[in-house]
Amino acid sequence: MADEMLLPKHPWYHKYPIDGPFDEKKARWTAFNCSRCSVCKWVDSWRVQGHRYARICPQHTKYLYDSHSAQGKCDLALALIDGKMKWDEDPEIKDILFQCTMCGGCDAMDKSIRDAELIKMYRWLRTEYVKRFGPLPEHKAMLDSLKQYDNVWLQPRMRRNSWAKDLKDLGIKDLNKDKADVLLFAGCTYGLSEELKDTVVNIAKVLKKVGVDFGTLGDKEMCCGSPPDKTGNPEEYERLARANIKRFNELGVKTVVTPCAGCYGTMRVGYAELGETMNFEILHVTEYIQQLTKNKKIKYKREVPVTVTWHDPCHLGRMSRPYVPGKDLEGVYEEPREILRGIPGVELVEMERIKEYAWCCGGGGGAFTAFKDFAQSTARERIEEAKDTGADIMVTSCPWCETNLRAGGSGMEEKMEIVDIFDLMMQAL
Amino acid sequence: MENMVRHEKHVEIMNALEAALGVGNVKDNAVTVNAYFGDWLPPKTLGQSVPPEFVALPNGTLETQAIVQICNRFKTPFIPVGSNQWSLTSAPNRPHTVLIDCKRMGEIHEIDENNMYAVIEPLVTLAQLQGEAYKRGLYIGSPEASAQSSAVAGHLFQGMWGTGYRLGVAYRNILGIEWVLPNGEILRTGSFAQDATCGFWGEGPGPDLRGMLRGYAGAMGGIGVVTKMAVKLHPYPGPKLWPAEGLIPNMTSTLPEDRFKWYIVKYDSLETAINFMYEIGKAEIAGLVQKWPTVYYNWWWANSNEEYWETWKKRVFQDNVKNAVGVCLWGFSSDEQLEYEKRVLEDIIEETGGRMVSQEIFDMWVPRTANNWIRDTNGSRMMRPSGTFLALRLQTDTLDYSVGQVKTGYEWVDKFTPPILDSDGPDWIGGYDFGHFGFGETDFPVEKTAEALGDLMGKLLVMTKEDVQNGLENGVGPFLGGAYHAMAGEVFGYDKLLRGIKKAIDPNIISNPPHNIPMED
Repeated sequence: MADEMLLPKHPWYHKYPIDGPFDEKKARWTAFNCSRCSVCKWVDSWRVQGHRYARICPQHTKYLYDSHSAQGKCDLALALIDGKMKWDEDPEIKDILFQCTMCGGCDAMDKSIRDAELIKMYRWLRTEYVKRFGPLPEHKAMLDSLKQYDNVWLQPRMRRNSWAKDLKDLGIKDLNKDKADVLLFAGCTYGLSEELKDTVVNIAKVLKKVGVDFGTLGDKEMCCGSPPDKTGNPEEYERLARANIKRFNELGVKTVVTPCAGCYGTMRVGYAELGETMNFEILHVTEYIQQLTKNKKIKYKREVPVTVTWHDPCHLGRMSRPYVPGKDLEGVYEEPREILRGIPGVELVEMERIKEYAWCCGGGGGAFTAFKDFAQSTARERIEEAKDTGADIMVTSCPWCETNLRAGGSGMEEKMEIVDIFDLMMQAL
Repeated sequence: MENMVRHEKHVEIMNALEAALGVGNVKDNAVTVNAYFGDWLPPKTLGQSVPPEFVALPNGTLETQAIVQICNRFKTPFIPVGSNQWSLTSAPNRPHTVLIDCKRMGEIHEIDENNMYAVIEPLVTLAQLQGEAYKRGLYIGSPEASAQSSAVAGHLFQGMWGTGYRLGVAYRNILGIEWVLPNGEILRTGSFAQDATCGFWGEGPGPDLRGMLRGYAGAMGGIGVVTKMAVKLHPYPGPKLWPAEGLIPNMTSTLPEDRFKWYIVKYDSLETAINFMYEIGKAEIAGLVQKWPTVYYNWWWANSNEEYWETWKKRVFQDNVKNAVGVCLWGFSSDEQLEYEKRVLEDIIEETGGRMVSQEIFDMWVPRTANNWIRDTNGSRMMRPSGTFLALRLQTDTLDYSVGQVKTGYEWVDKFTPPILDSDGPDWIGGYDFGHFGFGETDFPVEKTAEALGDLMGKLLVMTKEDVQNGLENGVGPFLGGAYHAMAGEVFGYDKLLRGIKKAIDPNIISNPPHNIPMED
């Protein structure tokens, strides 16, 4: 009976090909099969709680025209691939392709109704753009910095481990010399930002406190590759990613633990697609710590009487797992929430948009450097949402989210404190 | 020379629009207009789409009026869009078109809980309105086009929503309207005519003008722009927050058992299934009654293409829910009401020879998908298995008439399979107004290629012409707008009315021509 059925001829309608490179053929398929249904613009209808927080796409919310939505980008991709529009025909092509924070909100909503990878299409479009016109001027400093220093912040390599300079008593291992099963990978932003480095310090203290044998790469730590990957520079990304994979394998570490959601998402999803053998697992610190908390290795000493709301970083959530059509868009959603609930005195309240349908902080995809106003207005939208929960503070665990949310919130009349989960945790330890 | 004149006119229109709306609220660049002329079929399947020349974002009724006045001054067409979803008939088809996108008009002005109505702007989605209504113990339906679509556009369009059994068609929920006519005048109907902030009453002053807008498939922007609408809301016994569990795409939804109860009841034939629907209507019970075709079960249920086709090939739904009717009982007033309705329904099932589907099939369908018919979110899954679908034999008449029509639909589908793909006699029949009338539709998957769709669209048009010549309204035509009305208007005797309306309020024929009816000749 089944043999007599009339089925589609194109094999991709039978099974979407998740293997292999995302090339022009897949980009065209993604664009061509957009049905213009607008799910990419709104939070999944079952999750919409009301009028105010129903949108999912920061770019479309800010710029309004459908050209700035996933649907419009599908239209654009189709026109460019089919030669109906030239890459240099309209200067706004650049804005439309690069304003997007690559947060994956549209991508997640789209996956509720079809098998597709919008974010990969955007990455392909950005790469093609950069091939023709070079990187965005606003991203050049970051790329130059990577080439020269292996970090995105124009900092000399010797400063890479400066966050740990006052932690000599902790006895953190230098894995370039010593062996340990666990590598703490701070990432460029947590590791090099004066404003954020206390978070890594706190994480190191927590890990030591619970007896984890861990080390760092010291000044040999390199960028994970996420920024060049998101901004259309795959060669630089691959250079860094392959070097990291090689190094982690050589060191024999079993677990790479990172506090940076951007590093985490890139390593979990992107590295796996490079086809390299990886003899290590990658965990976000919240995952790792939550396992320890579950095993009751953490004893809190103080109450922290505060109402908090948790902001799901995109690359810790919906963007942190390889795509398998039909499978849940899993991510690290419960672990940080369980940590928060476990801190004495902390009350967790939820925003309307959470988990795989969370609103982005606005700081990703290169928007933080190239489209500051947009990035910060996106942050303000998130802060408004957090305020509406009645929370005193918004807690997260991503250096980009923290930085951009603070920047966005700085001009607001009613302030909202943005706190890293480990800084909050340290208050109770 | 011609290009220069055209360019000058373009610049003049652009300057006028910018003066009215402000710089940035109108655009004419290639990448912007490119996002407003595709449709959900392969580009240009109908040979009608061209890019608009301008996309304008008015903020409110007065700015919309200003755009329409400018269009009249320059005799250039305009097309209003709601959420710009599936823009088959709102895709521009004339040069110099100004596309009016309502993205700056997304406010809910008022929700009056006591009088049970909401006043909304065109961008407000059904999901937003539903979310706000639930908080107040009220609800509104949702079409299968999904709840991310514009509530205003949904009310003006066909209005065949999942809860129509109880609510009737959507367009009968329209109350006051604020409406920019194609000639640039603002018309307020119902109680908006007395007080522009208060829309609780729909009729008057004078003749009820709502019929001009709604019709069977709406006016599709052919007679102006609705910028504000009051819509009815209805009492809702469900929770204030829609219950949803799990992660995309495997979410489930379970409504409280003391107020909601689903039944999926199967019959040996379509006729006996429809008889069951009649009996439910006679008993005046239930909140939702639908006879879904097996393709719908697969469309809504499958979470990936692989899952769709593997399930279809195993005949999971074809062998278990053929001729099945989905019934959701609602305890509107109390849990006792639900208990009473359960007893009545179970008696009807026994008397009509119905059988429950297996628990396994029930558990597959109900938590994952059935409630989409109350709060639809996954209608776009209809595109999943092959890129798109087409429909025929849509009709609004009695339930019995629907049976006859969907059966002729089977024949047509068989005749043109391929290029139509396997679809198992697709027969969607919904009961409306307690079964006093029915709606039928024959939907089937088609592979999204220009060849397959071009071929089928041609055949559909031939069928439509034949139907019209035989005095038969097949329901597809009105979705095609002007092209259909040109052939059917004279046969059914409504062309003079449409032309008269158009002539009276659209003297320059600029409101989404050729909708509702071609006037150029």
